[in-house]
Amino acid sequence: MLGRSLLLFGAFLVFLFSASPVILSFIGSIVPDQAIFSYPPNWFGYGVTLDNYRYIFTGELPTVYQAEGANRSMISDAARQVPRALFNSMIVSGSVALINLLLGGPAAYAYARMRFRGRRATFIGLIMAPLVPSAALIVPYYLLVQQFGLLGTKLSMILIHSIMTLPFTTLILSVFFGRIPDELEDAALVDGCTPLQSFLRIFVPLVRPSLLATGLFAFMLSYSEFLFAHALGGSSDSRLLPVVMAALARNTDVSWGLLNASIFIAVVPSLLLVIVVWRFVVEGLLAGSVKG
Amino acid sequence: MTRRANTEYLWVLPVLIPVFLFTLYPVAHALWKSLHRSQVLLPGEPFVGLANYASLLNDSTIWASLRNTLGFTLVAAPITVVVGLGVAYLLLANYPGRIYVRSVVLLPWALPGAITAVIWIWVFHPSWGLLNHGLRLAGIIDRNLQWLTQPDLARFAVAVAHIWAQFPFAAVLMLAALSSIDSTLYSAAAIDGANAWQRFRFVTLPQISTMIAVLTVYETLVAVTSYDVTYAMTGGGPGSATTLLAFQIWKQSFSMLNFGNGAALAFLTALLSLIFIALILWAIPAELFRTDDE
Repeated sequence: MLGRSLLLFGAFLVFLFSASPVILSFIGSIVPDQAIFSYPPNWFGYGVTLDNYRYIFTGELPTVYQAEGANRSMISDAARQVPRALFNSMIVSGSVALINLLLGGPAAYAYARMRFRGRRATFIGLIMAPLVPSAALIVPYYLLVQQFGLLGTKLSMILIHSIMTLPFTTLILSVFFGRIPDELEDAALVDGCTPLQSFLRIFVPLVRPSLLATGLFAFMLSYSEFLFAHALGGSSDSRLLPVVMAALARNTDVSWGLLNASIFIAVVPSLLLVIVVWRFVVEGLLAGSVKG
Repeated sequence: MTRRANTEYLWVLPVLIPVFLFTLYPVAHALWKSLHRSQVLLPGEPFVGLANYASLLNDSTIWASLRNTLGFTLVAAPITVVVGLGVAYLLLANYPGRIYVRSVVLLPWALPGAITAVIWIWVFHPSWGLLNHGLRLAGIIDRNLQWLTQPDLARFAVAVAHIWAQFPFAAVLMLAALSSIDSTLYSAAAIDGANAWQRFRFVTLPQISTMIAVLTVYETLVAVTSYDVTYAMTGGGPGSATTLLAFQIWKQSFSMLNFGNGAALAFLTALLSLIFIALILWAIPAELFRTDDE
């Protein structure tokens, strides 16, 4: 069947298109630089090494560069900031995910299951809020954060990223809460449950996987945010991963092996998140409709 | 009922208050700044009317970045939506290994823009980039193309990286729209003897038109305010060939320390977004929406 093979070929192309840069950066991180630059390409002819990863985490120079005459300027200190930045990003994005669930969960429940004045108007307002270009917010945020003396702190990033992500998580969670049959809620109300009790005892357990995944979605948005992290970021101690990666990318002296190792380290959390988010959020959102 | 209504606000206000406060206040603040002289090096913040806007409009680099942004948006947004639709079809179809394709397809979107940039630098690098390499092997070129240092090629390169980072989001939303189409519609169309193109044009397209409109608006907004991929890939260069408006806002505010100009430019950028949204909504035939609402 021609159509069938075209389909498989297309799917394969999409797979390659999405995944190949990551695969390439992994290969680039475990082979010496001269293998990457070899022509005709002979990527695996120079052996495989984890030296780049060791340098990033321990500061021990890769053996290739310890040889006499090797170009020491190719070693960049920026790569050494990657573990610290990864840690900072984890703290910030983890807190953002938590705040999103603690505040966004109840709000989404109220929008999905309760009737009150201004429900529709405020919901539309909430969805419209992220449409304001973040570039327009950057100066006021900068001055606000400066006024509170929070410039360059993780706390300021947590607050800004939470405000940025809350509309999305509230929207997604309200879809999940809205899908639960009314009968369950009615039964709970008949049993004398308050809204809080029926939320905590019936709804939260029912959507637990979706809650987890929505939290990870917020994590992902925060983890990849760059504009605020760049403009409000401070010293190398509190810098977030995207800022360090951008610095590495702009640094022409950095060795390709180190750069690729840094990329791969930064990609691993995204890769894990993507699989979970797809499994629970996307399949979950699709589940309500006709099966494909 | 009215007594209980009060407690319901407790559920939503913890989200509404910070989001609205931190959206409306900055917008108002930026508007105020844009009408005042606010430069770190000069004392005081006197009201200057539209002087900041005027000085921006007299600045040729601003016009250059406006042209760049327009071109970038007009190319990137529609292609992202079309690629997203195509990929959504591939994710919808059934074949062995679909789960793997579905799992990695979101990856480009989940990656921080700075990483997207680094990855694509490797592809487009003039000396040892994969693209030059492949083109040479295929015998299409015999000298390396300067992808990142020739204005038009650099513009092409950042557009590719941007589309790569954005298409998964469009694909997932398209997939949601496609899979909600009632399959009996296709059976009916097949009985009526509709071919593949007719089925797409008269069954699929009306059903997904709202999603197409929403995505086009969203991708336009994303492109107009795009910042990180371009910044990390080319730094706005060569010259100012890939300098977009969002990068100019950053530059005016944090490099030239002219907050008044930065805020004014932010408003002009927001205005550009609004014009684009209005044009898109105006260009989409109203009948498409009507079919969808039924």
